[in-house]
Amino acid sequence: MFIEPLLMSDAHLSHIEKVKQASDALRGSISEGLADEITGSISEDDKALVKFHGMYLQDDRDRREERAEKKLERLYSFMIRLRLPGGFLTADQWLATQNIAGEHATGVIKITTRQTVQLHGLYKSHVKPTIQAFNQASLYSLATCGDINRNVIAAAHPRQSPIHQEIHDFSYKIDQLLLPKTKAYYEIWLDDEKIADKKDEEDPLYQDRYLPRKFKIAIAIPPNNDVDVFGNDLGLIAVIEKGKLQGYNISIGGGLSSTHGNPATYPRLGTVIGFVSGEENILKTIYEVVTIQRDYGNRSDRSLARLKYTVDKMGVDWFKTEIARRTGFVLEKERPFLFTERKDYYGWFQNSDSLWYYTPFIENGRVTDDEKVAMKTALYEIAETRKLNFRFTANQNVILADIQSEDKAAIEKILQKYNIEAYTQSISSIRRNSMACVALSTCPLAFAEAQRYLPSLLSKIEPLLDKYHLQQEDIILRMTGCPNGCARSYIAEIGFIGTSLGKYNLQLGGDHAGMRLNKVFKESLDEDAILQELDVLFAAFAKEKKAGESLGDFALRKQWV
Amino acid sequence: MNPEKKKQIRDFIDSLDKQEQIWANGYLEGLLQEGSPMPNLPAKPLGENKKITIAYGTESGNSKKIANLFASRAKQEGIHAKLVSLDQYRLADLPKEEYFLTVISTQGEGEPPASAKKFYDHIHQNGFKLPKLKYGVLALGDTSYPMFCKAGEDVDHQLGHLGGERIVDIQRCDVDFEQEASTWMNDVLQKLSGSKVDNLAPVKTTKKPGGKKIYQGEILTNINLNDRGSSKQTHHIEIGCEEVFYKPGDSLGLVPFNPTVTVEDIIALTGIDQERTFVHRNDTYTAYELLHKKLNIVYLPERVVAKYAVHVEQEIPAVKTGLLDLLKKYPVKDAAHFEVFLQQLEPTTPRLYSIASSLESLDGEVHLTVAKDAYTLEEELKYGLCSDHLCSLKAGDKIEFYIHHNDQFRLPQDDQDVIMIGPGTGIAPFRAFLSERESAGAAGRNWLFYGDQHFTTDFLYQTELQQWLESGVLSMLDVAFSRDQAEKIYVQHKIKSRANEFIQWLQNGAFLYVCGAKKMSEDVEKTILDLIEKSGAGLNPTAYLDELKSNGRYLKDVY
Ligand SMILES: Cc1cc2nc3c(=O)[nH]c(=O)nc-3n(C[C@H](O)[C@H](O)[C@H](O)COP(=O)(O)OP(=O)(O)OC[C@H]3O[C@@H](n4cnc5c(N)ncnc54)[C@H](O)[C@@H]3O)c2cc1C
Ligand SMILES: Cc1cc2nc3c(=O)[nH]c(=O)nc-3n(C[C@H](O)[C@H](O)[C@H](O)COP(=O)(O)O)c2cc1C
Ligand code: SF4
Repeated sequence: MFIEPLLMSDAHLSHIEKVKQASDALRGSISEGLADEITGSISEDDKALVKFHGMYLQDDRDRREERAEKKLERLYSFMIRLRLPGGFLTADQWLATQNIAGEHATGVIKITTRQTVQLHGLYKSHVKPTIQAFNQASLYSLATCGDINRNVIAAAHPRQSPIHQEIHDFSYKIDQLLLPKTKAYYEIWLDDEKIADKKDEEDPLYQDRYLPRKFKIAIAIPPNNDVDVFGNDLGLIAVIEKGKLQGYNISIGGGLSSTHGNPATYPRLGTVIGFVSGEENILKTIYEVVTIQRDYGNRSDRSLARLKYTVDKMGVDWFKTEIARRTGFVLEKERPFLFTERKDYYGWFQNSDSLWYYTPFIENGRVTDDEKVAMKTALYEIAETRKLNFRFTANQNVILADIQSEDKAAIEKILQKYNIEAYTQSISSIRRNSMACVALSTCPLAFAEAQRYLPSLLSKIEPLLDKYHLQQEDIILRMTGCPNGCARSYIAEIGFIGTSLGKYNLQLGGDHAGMRLNKVFKESLDEDAILQELDVLFAAFAKEKKAGESLGDFALRKQWV
Repeated sequence: MNPEKKKQIRDFIDSLDKQEQIWANGYLEGLLQEGSPMPNLPAKPLGENKKITIAYGTESGNSKKIANLFASRAKQEGIHAKLVSLDQYRLADLPKEEYFLTVISTQGEGEPPASAKKFYDHIHQNGFKLPKLKYGVLALGDTSYPMFCKAGEDVDHQLGHLGGERIVDIQRCDVDFEQEASTWMNDVLQKLSGSKVDNLAPVKTTKKPGGKKIYQGEILTNINLNDRGSSKQTHHIEIGCEEVFYKPGDSLGLVPFNPTVTVEDIIALTGIDQERTFVHRNDTYTAYELLHKKLNIVYLPERVVAKYAVHVEQEIPAVKTGLLDLLKKYPVKDAAHFEVFLQQLEPTTPRLYSIASSLESLDGEVHLTVAKDAYTLEEELKYGLCSDHLCSLKAGDKIEFYIHHNDQFRLPQDDQDVIMIGPGTGIAPFRAFLSERESAGAAGRNWLFYGDQHFTTDFLYQTELQQWLESGVLSMLDVAFSRDQAEKIYVQHKIKSRANEFIQWLQNGAFLYVCGAKKMSEDVEKTILDLIEKSGAGLNPTAYLDELKSNGRYLKDVY
C-alpha cells in the first residue's frame, strides 16, 4: 500500500518550517545579526537557524529580573555543541577545547548525554572566533542541533568488544551520509567565499525543508546498552557472531520527550523492525528511514513531529513496507539480542588490543575545578602528555583511552597527583549511575533545577540507602528539569521530572537495561516528600527483594506503579 | 608703593612656579585677613555717539543674555554697540578698542568659561599694553562657590594692569543677577552719555542672600545600572518633586554634606563647642551645622592649606588635603584658636548632574545618571563625597536641590536633525533629549553615539535605547565598548567609521552635541576636525566648526 506523502499547504506549516524554507540554505540574516552591536541576541527566526549551525541562544534566567531593573537586556549567550561521532577527541583536540572554553566561554566543558561536549556562556562577539578556533583543531559544530541528524552515538568503551573500532568507524560513515550540503556554515563562520553556483549545495536528502524535528541515531553493542539505543529515533544493535560483526538489528521510533499537559505526547521506546547486513544496505536503510520521516513527519505541530509519532501514525508494518519500497529490499527477521546493563566502567580496564582505559567520575559531565576535585586541571595535564585519546560516554563521562602499557604509569601519576582515582572510588554507586540535564539557569524549557540540584539531593539519598544496606545496588537515577527528558529520565529506575521550581514527578519501574519506560509514581513532590517516599520504598526493597532483583523490577512486581 | 619695592615683589613672584604662586597668594591673603580694595579712579563723563564693544564669556547663557540686554539698552541711548562672544573676538583688535565692556561668568574652580579661555589667557600674557582702553567688567558667579566671580575679577584686574582705564567698578553678581546687572549697566551708560540714565529696574539696597530656588525632592528609585562584574557603579536616580521646573539640557545642583564621623572627629579633636553659633554668608549657623553642611572640610584646596599654615605658624606642604589630617598633624592651640580658622574655611562647592528626564514626558520628576566617583588614597579605595551620597540614597529619602539652567545646551526646532555624542554619564542629557523629542513627536532625526567599557555590564539604558531604535525615535545608534577586544575602541572611532554619513548629516544642517568627560570631548573634536579635513568637500576644518559654533549648532556640556 502506497500512501502519498502529505503535501501540506503553506497555511498548515508551522512557523519554523517557513523559516527553514526561506532561509537560503540556513543563512537567514545570521551575518547581519552578528554585526548588530546593540543587542547580544539575534532575531527570532535566526534563533531557529543557528541551531543547525550547532548553537542555541540562551539567557541566564537567574539574572532576568535584576537585569531588567538595570535597564539591561537579558544576559544572552550561546551554547555551542561539537560534532563528535562516537565521542572521540585526540589529546590535542581536548587541549584546544579547554583553551577555547577558557578564552571564549565559561571555562567549563560540559560532556553531554550524547557523547559530545558543549560550551556555555559565549557572548555573541565570541561565537565566530570560537568556531574558527575549533576549525583550527578540525572540530565542527555544524548540525549538532536543529531539525537534522544529530551527533551519532556509539557504544563507548573499547573493552566492550574487539569490533568496537569497526563500529566507531561506521558511526563516521553514518555521520557523513547525513550531513547537510549547505555551505552556509563555512561562509558565515569561517569567512569562505560565497558560493557562486547554488547547485554546489543542492541537498537531495534535506532539500530546503530539513527534517520536521531533531533526529537521533545510536549504535549499541550488547549486552551493554550504555547508549540507551531505544531512546533514539533510529537504533542499531550490533549483532556479533564468532567475533565478527554480522549486521544490525534496526530499531525505529524511540524518543523520550513529552509535554506537560499535552496527552497527545508521550515517551516511546524504539521498535525493532528487523535485521540488515552489508554496509551498503545498512546505509541505504538508514538513509531511507530519514527520507520517510522527511516526507511523512508532522510539519504543522512540532510537539508531534518526532519519528515516533510518524511510526505510530502510519503503523510499523506500513513503515517496513515503505522502507523496502525505497531501498529495493526487505529487512530480514530480527536476530536475538540481550541487554543486561547500561553503565560506564569506572576505573582501569584493558581492551583486546592490550590498550589501557581509565574512566574517572565526572559529576553531571561538568569538567571543572571545584572544592572536591581539580578535574579540569588534571585532564589538561594528562592531555599534555599526548599519550592518549579522549572518548566520551553517553552517561556524561570521559574515558582516558588508547593508552599504551608503557605510558600508563605516567598517566597514573597525574591521576594520583590530583587524587582522581581515590575520588572516583569514593563515589557511591547511586551517584555513579545518575545523570541530570542542564536545566536552570540556561535551558529555556526548564521548570525546575537539575544539574545544579541533583548532587545535593543525592547526598540526602545516600544515607537512606546506607540505612537499609543498599549502598552496593546499581540503581539508575536520572533527573530532568522538564518532560523533554534530555537526560533520559523516562528510562531510569528512579526518574525525577521537573514540574515547577522545587517540585518533581517521581517515576519508578524502569529496568536496568533500558528496555522499559518507567511510570509516574507520585506527582509534584518537594524534597521532603521525595525523601519520605524513597525511605519507604528502600525499606520495602531491602526487606522483600528477591536475589538479584533490581529496584526497577521490584517496583513493578510489587505494583508500586 | 615705590618702584623699587614693586620690582622686588615682581622678581620674587617671577621666581615662583605656578603652584608656588597659588600658595603664596593664599599665604598673603591669610596674612592680611582682609583684602584692601583697589582705589578706583573716577572716570570723567563722556559724550554720546561713542562706539563700544560688549564682549561676553558664557557657559550656560546668562552672560550672553545680559550682554544682549545691555547692547539693546545702549542702542536706545544712541550708542553704537558691537556685541560679540569672546570666542569669536579678534584678539588683535584689543589694542584698538576704546570702550570695552566684558560680561563674564566663572566656571570650574574659579576659571573662565571655555569660550573665554583664549581671551583670558591672552590678556594674562603681559607682553603688551592697552593704553587706549577704557573698560568695565560685569562678573557673573555664584556665592555658593568658593572663588566667587574669580574670572571676572581677574579680567578686571588684568585689563588695568595692561594699562587700561577702569570706567566703572567691577560688579559681582550672584545667581539672581538681574538687579545688580541692571545697576551696573546704568552706571556704564551714565558714564558714556554723561547724563543720568533712567533706572529700568528697581534697585534694591540690601542684598538678599542666594537667589536660588531650592526644591525639596524625594527619592523614588535608585538603581545601579551597571551589572555584576563591572568595574563601575552608575546610578539611575529618580527624584519626585511636584513643582520642579527645568528643560532638557539643564542640570541639577546640590551641596553635599560632610560625613558625620569626620565632623565629630574634628569637634572632639579641637574641643570646639558644637552649639556655638557663627555668621556665615549672612546666615547664622552652629559650629556643627557649618562643619556638616556648609564648609569644605574634606579636601581643602592649596590656598586654604596655606592659610592654615599661617594660622598655626607651621611649615606645611602646599597640597590638597583634608582638615582632619591637618588638625592631627599640625594641631591648633585650643578651641578658640580653631574658631578663628573656622571662619576662613571655604564653602563646599555645589555639584552638578545633568538631568536625564523630560517634564514633557514625565511631570514632577527629575532623573539623574550618577557615576560613583572612585579614587584611591594611600592604597585605600574612596568614593567622591557627593556621588557616593547620592548613590547611597534609598527610596523615600529627602533631597534638597536647585536647577542649574543651561540655555547653551538646548534642543533645536523639532524638524532639525541632532547628533549626540555621550559616552558614560554623558548619555544623561540625551536621554532627556530623546524623551522630549519622543513626546513632541519631533520630525528631526536623532543619532546617538554611546560608549563605555563592556557591552554586557556597562550599556547604560540599553533597553530604553533599543525601544527608541525600534520605534524610530533613534534613527541611528552607534556604540563603542572599549574593553571588549584587544584594541581600545571609543566613540571617536565609531564616528570615524561613519565618516561619510556624519559629514552628510552636518552638511544637511544637523546640530552636534557632546556631553561627558572633557578629555573625551577633546578627542572627539580632533576626530571631527580630521573627518572634515578628509571629507573631500574642500572644507576648512576649524572654520567649519567655528561656523557651527557661532550658529549654535555645535554644543558641549563637558566636565
Ligand atoms: C555641568 C556638569 C554636569 C555634570 N553631570 C554629571 C552627570 O550627569 N553625572 C555624573 O556622574 N557627574 C556629573 N558631573 C560631575 C559631578 O558634578 C561631580 O563632579 C562628580 O560626581 C564628583 O563629585 P563628588 O563629590 O562625588 O567627588 P569629590 O569628592 O568632589 O571628588 C572628586 C575627586 O577629587 C579627588 N578627591 C576628593 N577628595 C579627596 C581627598 N580627600 N583626597 C584625595 N583626593 C580627593 C579625587 O580625585 C576624586 O575623584 C557633572 C559636572 C558638571 C560640571
Ligand atoms: C561647573 C560650574 C562651576 C562654577 N564655578 C563657579 C565659581 O568658581 N565661582 C563662581 O562665582 N561661580 C561659579 N559658577 C556659577 C556660574 O558662574 C553662574 O551659574 C553663572 O550665572 C553662569 O553664567 P553663564 O551662564 O554666563 O556661564 C559655576 C557654575 C558651574 C556650572
Ligand atoms: S530536559 Fe528539559 S530542562 Fe532539561 S535540558 Fe532538556 S529541555 Fe532543558
